[in-house]
Amino acid sequence: MKKTVFVFYFLLTSIFLFAQDQIIVKGKVTDESNIGIPGVSIAIKGTALGTITDLNGDYEINALSNATLVFSSIGFTTQEILVNNRENIDVALLESTELVDEVVVIGYGKVKKSDLTGSVSSVKGEDITKISSLNAEQSLQGMATGVQVTSTSGAPGAVPVIRIRGVGTFNNSSPIFIVDGIILDDISFLSSGDISSMEVLKDASATAMYGSRGANGVIIVSTKQGNTKDKVVINYSGEYGTQFLAKKIDLLNGREFGIITNEINPGTYSNVDALPNTDWQDLVFKPAAFHNHQISFSGSTEMSQFYFGVSYLKQDGIIDKSSYERLSFKINNTYNLFKNLKIGNHLTISPYKQQIAPNVTYSVYRAQPLLPPYYADGSYGVVYNVGNPLANLANSNNFNKGLRAVGNVFAEAEFLEAFTVKSSFGIDGSYNKAENFTPAYTVYNPDGTASQQNNEFNDLYKGNNQNLTWLWENTISYLKDFNKHTIDFVGGYTMQQSNSEYFGISGENLIRDYEDLWYITPASVYDPTINVNTIQSISNGVDQYYSMISYLARVNYTFDNRYIFTATFRRDGSSKFAKEKRYGSFPSFALGWNISNESFMQGIDLINNLKLRASWGKIGNDKVNYLGRFSTTSSGLTIFGIPETANIATTYGKSGNPDLKWETTTQYDIGMEITILNNLSAEFDYYNRKTEDILIELSTPGYLGNGQGQKIAFNAASVLNTGLEAKINWRQRIDEFNYSIGVLFSTVHNEVLSIGGNSGIDSLLQGGYLGDGRSVTQSREGLPIGAFYGYKTDGIFQTQQELDAYPHSSQAGIGDLRFVDVNNDGVIDGNDRTNIGSSIPKFIFGLNIGLDYKAFDFALDISGQSGNDIFNGKEVVRPDPYNFEKHVFDRWTGPNTSNTEPRPSFGGYNFTPSDRFIQDGSFVRLRTLMLGYTLPEQLTTKFHVQKLRIYAKGNNLFTLTKFTGYTPEIGSGDVLSNGIDFGIYPITAIYSFGVNVTF
Amino acid sequence: MRKFISISIMGFILLLALGSCEDFLEKNPQGQLTQNTFPVSESDALLVTNAAYASLRNWHYNSGGFPILDIMSDDSHKGSTPNDALPTIGPYDLFTFSTTQDGLDRWWATLYEGIKRTNVVIEKVPSISMNTETRDIYVAEAHFLRALYYFDLVRAWGGVPLVTSTKPAVKLERSSAEEIYSLIEEDLKFAIANLPEKSEQTQAEKGRATKGAAKSLLAKVYLFEHDFVNAEKYALEVINSSEYDLEANFSAANGQVGEFGIESIFEVGASTNEGGGGQYANTQGVRGSPNRGWGFNRPSLSLRNSFEANDPRLDATIIDLGEVLDGILILGDGSTPDEIFDGLGNLIEVECYNQKVWTPGDNTSTQENHNRRIIRYADVLLIAAEALNENNKPTDALIYLNMVRERAREGNVSILLDITETNKEILASLILDERRHELALEGHRYWDLVRTGKASEVLGPLGFVVGKHELLPIPQSEIDISQGTLKQNPNY
Repeated sequence: MKKTVFVFYFLLTSIFLFAQDQIIVKGKVTDESNIGIPGVSIAIKGTALGTITDLNGDYEINALSNATLVFSSIGFTTQEILVNNRENIDVALLESTELVDEVVVIGYGKVKKSDLTGSVSSVKGEDITKISSLNAEQSLQGMATGVQVTSTSGAPGAVPVIRIRGVGTFNNSSPIFIVDGIILDDISFLSSGDISSMEVLKDASATAMYGSRGANGVIIVSTKQGNTKDKVVINYSGEYGTQFLAKKIDLLNGREFGIITNEINPGTYSNVDALPNTDWQDLVFKPAAFHNHQISFSGSTEMSQFYFGVSYLKQDGIIDKSSYERLSFKINNTYNLFKNLKIGNHLTISPYKQQIAPNVTYSVYRAQPLLPPYYADGSYGVVYNVGNPLANLANSNNFNKGLRAVGNVFAEAEFLEAFTVKSSFGIDGSYNKAENFTPAYTVYNPDGTASQQNNEFNDLYKGNNQNLTWLWENTISYLKDFNKHTIDFVGGYTMQQSNSEYFGISGENLIRDYEDLWYITPASVYDPTINVNTIQSISNGVDQYYSMISYLARVNYTFDNRYIFTATFRRDGSSKFAKEKRYGSFPSFALGWNISNESFMQGIDLINNLKLRASWGKIGNDKVNYLGRFSTTSSGLTIFGIPETANIATTYGKSGNPDLKWETTTQYDIGMEITILNNLSAEFDYYNRKTEDILIELSTPGYLGNGQGQKIAFNAASVLNTGLEAKINWRQRIDEFNYSIGVLFSTVHNEVLSIGGNSGIDSLLQGGYLGDGRSVTQSREGLPIGAFYGYKTDGIFQTQQELDAYPHSSQAGIGDLRFVDVNNDGVIDGNDRTNIGSSIPKFIFGLNIGLDYKAFDFALDISGQSGNDIFNGKEVVRPDPYNFEKHVFDRWTGPNTSNTEPRPSFGGYNFTPSDRFIQDGSFVRLRTLMLGYTLPEQLTTKFHVQKLRIYAKGNNLFTLTKFTGYTPEIGSGDVLSNGIDFGIYPITAIYSFGVNVTF
Repeated sequence: MRKFISISIMGFILLLALGSCEDFLEKNPQGQLTQNTFPVSESDALLVTNAAYASLRNWHYNSGGFPILDIMSDDSHKGSTPNDALPTIGPYDLFTFSTTQDGLDRWWATLYEGIKRTNVVIEKVPSISMNTETRDIYVAEAHFLRALYYFDLVRAWGGVPLVTSTKPAVKLERSSAEEIYSLIEEDLKFAIANLPEKSEQTQAEKGRATKGAAKSLLAKVYLFEHDFVNAEKYALEVINSSEYDLEANFSAANGQVGEFGIESIFEVGASTNEGGGGQYANTQGVRGSPNRGWGFNRPSLSLRNSFEANDPRLDATIIDLGEVLDGILILGDGSTPDEIFDGLGNLIEVECYNQKVWTPGDNTSTQENHNRRIIRYADVLLIAAEALNENNKPTDALIYLNMVRERAREGNVSILLDITETNKEILASLILDERRHELALEGHRYWDLVRTGKASEVLGPLGFVVGKHELLPIPQSEIDISQGTLKQNPNY
């Protein structure tokens, strides 16, 4: 099988006028049934020039009279045709069953998949909109190997946590996003419908182009461009759906709670059958609607290409007082000013409004089922120790409103045939306003006295933050073929500056409760004589203020389509570090071998494509608390003099560590790609990522004078992640029946190699604080990051003899948990706490099935993970009598009645963090089930509609898991607190239907 | 077009040249002063020197918050209600404390925090362009304070890590006690050379370190080193300076009226009205009615019974129930038994409180106005007496000993008769007794017993183990964090 060696630049529509015998070639590209094929790429062989067919398959190109045109399109066999002075060339492309070489977007360029030496997973636009249109990041779940996507909350507008190839650092372990060349931390402002593809860059060869920011992976998001010649394409898609609670937690009802209470405090309720029951879950979680509309206009002319999209998303939450609303404008334009100079812009502007509900999930879980939500007079009933969640919701008015604008302008010039220089200037600006108003309200006890749920004065918090990042990138690239050699070089220089400021003010006792008066001004003080300060607090400061300068280079050399060598280098300088530690260099090298292009493979028809690749490189992470290098001052008082007078005393707080430097990840990757019989393609990777010099805050010896309990930042930890990734696809077409099955999985082994080292500082990191001071994770050498930490249990003390025979805490009695004396010192104390699990899955998998038959299309996606644990944190913190999960009915009631569930109690000893609260976090989830139908073209064209498709789908309809909570997806941005269920906003199941129309 | 290309190439090259400008990468933290921007002026120098004092008002500076030194001595018990802080502070009374005992880590960390603050002054202030005389005084104050902090460390733990820089190595071993003492001596000599006398200070400067304070502290340091010649020398220099005298009224020596007064050599200012109260007195204040504090450091029967007949200092040292102070009737705490008996029916404790921390008032806020006296003139007189006796000058020793007794008798010639004993050993013992009565509950007794070798005899019956309890255990958290670099004191 022989492959072409040219790189196609889709966006280039202008032609380099050079010789006098240049002609205009026109024509139509069709398939075997003579239907025009849109989007066929037409390239002039040996140059970077080319064009694309319009929707009807027509094209027009300026070419030398003796040039060779290369026609290619996914799903068709590539054809080369000599112009030979013809001005009209019609081409019929043959449909190919083989998987055609795709073009993959990589950092600062594109590369043919066959020339790629790095490990990159691509997700196409249609797969992104499959998982409802609510969140583009969520769509990566189960679609790309090595990628773990975990929801942190089901609240509207919540952003999931993404981990690529394990957890690489104790700091922010999230990947970066590159949207149209702009480096960002999240893409929540983007409408899924504007995205044409997402590429996940995983290995060092791919990510090293982003140097100090690439260590946690890079996700390149490309947005849609106009490419239909002299014709405007109008697209509308709309979706309407309902979200609902997929599963309730099995909690006790009123009668059951009465039975258990009577066992704890005998005689509390005389007749448990007469007890009332309130199902707080039914009262709080209600099905909620969302709808999304998007309309886009795109097209291109000789002079320009444009894409203009507007989308509107409105999502209500299944908990009252939570919603998300976003309007998004997307404008991408390119103008061909001269034959070899073009300018353009990308711009997204997204105003949004989010309403955030208070965390009532926790109070719903805790509220006693005996308590009525309302009294007979309709007022809210007291819910002891927890607060009435309905009253809490009714009085909540917590909003985030703002605007995000991300965009750039660029100019690109070609010269001397092979060179291109490009300069782009981009900004990422946002303005966010937080507004939280709570009216004065009181929930009364049955005796008419005020309960603890009492907000004496109304209060208002207002906060805003403003961020502005600008990025100036300048690159020069060179692409040239010499016989069997292809050299693709890009070099560049970039500058970036980031700046943010926040301002917050809170006040109380406003004169009116309604929104018009939600302002903190002296005029709105209700009555100064009652001695209430209107202004409670003011805060002002800076979150981010830093700048970067970077130099970058990459060369990709291909010999005879068989051997590929890639070297990249980036040198980043950042103001985050002191002068001496400021610059970091991040090199990578990679080799690829297209074995199937070797002559000895030519006779083997079974294998269509076989490639081996290997890469090595160093990359960095700069998402650290860089202020740690400074000793900042704080002030206090000292008293001197007669009469005694306060004297201001100012000195440094804890010492900064000016030696802080980059965290560095060294990663190697070995991969294989194979295609068999044109139907089966597979890609395998083994990776090994070792992060060193991780910046962590550790307890320091008291003699350093930082004060008691203070921690200082050091580059003092290292972490290893290794794993296998596999993606296997089967594609087949049988007449009008087309189907594909994809299976992908990834394994993760995560291990802390060292903390502190032999440096005289602490060697472990506590985390996962439950909110009552207790910590349930401890990271130390040999364990995964954020490993769960607590007592191991070994059944229940069945008898007094058994209690006497084993070491036990003075609080333990018969029927209580037996903790293991791990250190065998005959005493149960804090030293017996040990590793009891890990939140990092060992295995992540996905299954994607797609079918289409005639006008119908069907998709089914399954994703899941296994080998991870969840700490049921919401069950452990029990200072007061709360409701129980149903398993309390398996309780110990006498010798040998239970060896797992201790005698019931409202809190105390049995709720000490132990492996009793560790649950298996494995799950298999039916993520998407979708059926679509495209109306016959003959029918729709009568209404000037080219294509009209309707569909119905369900998301998260079914989850197989042993976890007792709402959802086994328990994510946290803090790697030390991951996998702890504190009662998160439940992830919803969704039914929706929608329509796509193309005019 | 050719022109455009060449311009763009040149522009690109220019850009590379421009960009390497390092200024672009210099970004100072916003809204914060840092080591690069503070201290840089004369006013900064004052602020940073004040901060070296501010650690003295930190509650933890007072032996970790609780008066464990007195509780460990024969002068007092834990106090408060019987169960309050029983597992945390109780073990100090019984010598059953462990390496993780409450407060040790706080005291250790706070003393070193103070030391760091003094090191900041010593390292940074000399290079500030300012009035050189003022500058020298600030630096000398820091040397004085560093000696004061180290003196607590060396007495409590012996040889400790020696830190004299703001950027010490992270991993340090313990220095010897001799090395610590030698730094203390050096620091105090520097302070003596550069600090003003108390009389040279303005009223507003009272409370800042003086030449007299440095000499007094040095005399005391030599006493702990058993260098009686130098102890005598510096104590007499203080006495002969005529800068200090005894308060006419004994209770003024620690009370509010004597704050920064004639007897005060070095004290820690505290004023709730000024926004800077002190929790030292609050911890020991009367519990219950009036509510002045938590009631720790309960004077023992042993202390009560040791006073000579009719010594007025007994009444001025212990607040008993039913007593009326500054017009306030002391009723005490309802959940504290008025009398506690042992299993055999012997009275072992009565509810009473430390009067040395008393300030007029009936609430906790006014209690926090108390200024803790670190060194007062009576202490210096007794140091002189002890050193002179050890140097075989008993007659001279008696002069200073009797000065303390004379003030104590408040004009009543029938009590606390002048001592005439000249036998060295007996006189030494009488001086130690005088220290107990004069300086009771001021944190001296435990260390006096240890340094004079009387601890085993006096405290042995209370649980004191020779070869162990002369020093406190290094906090276990420090040993853990150091991963074993710091070695524990013997027998813990």
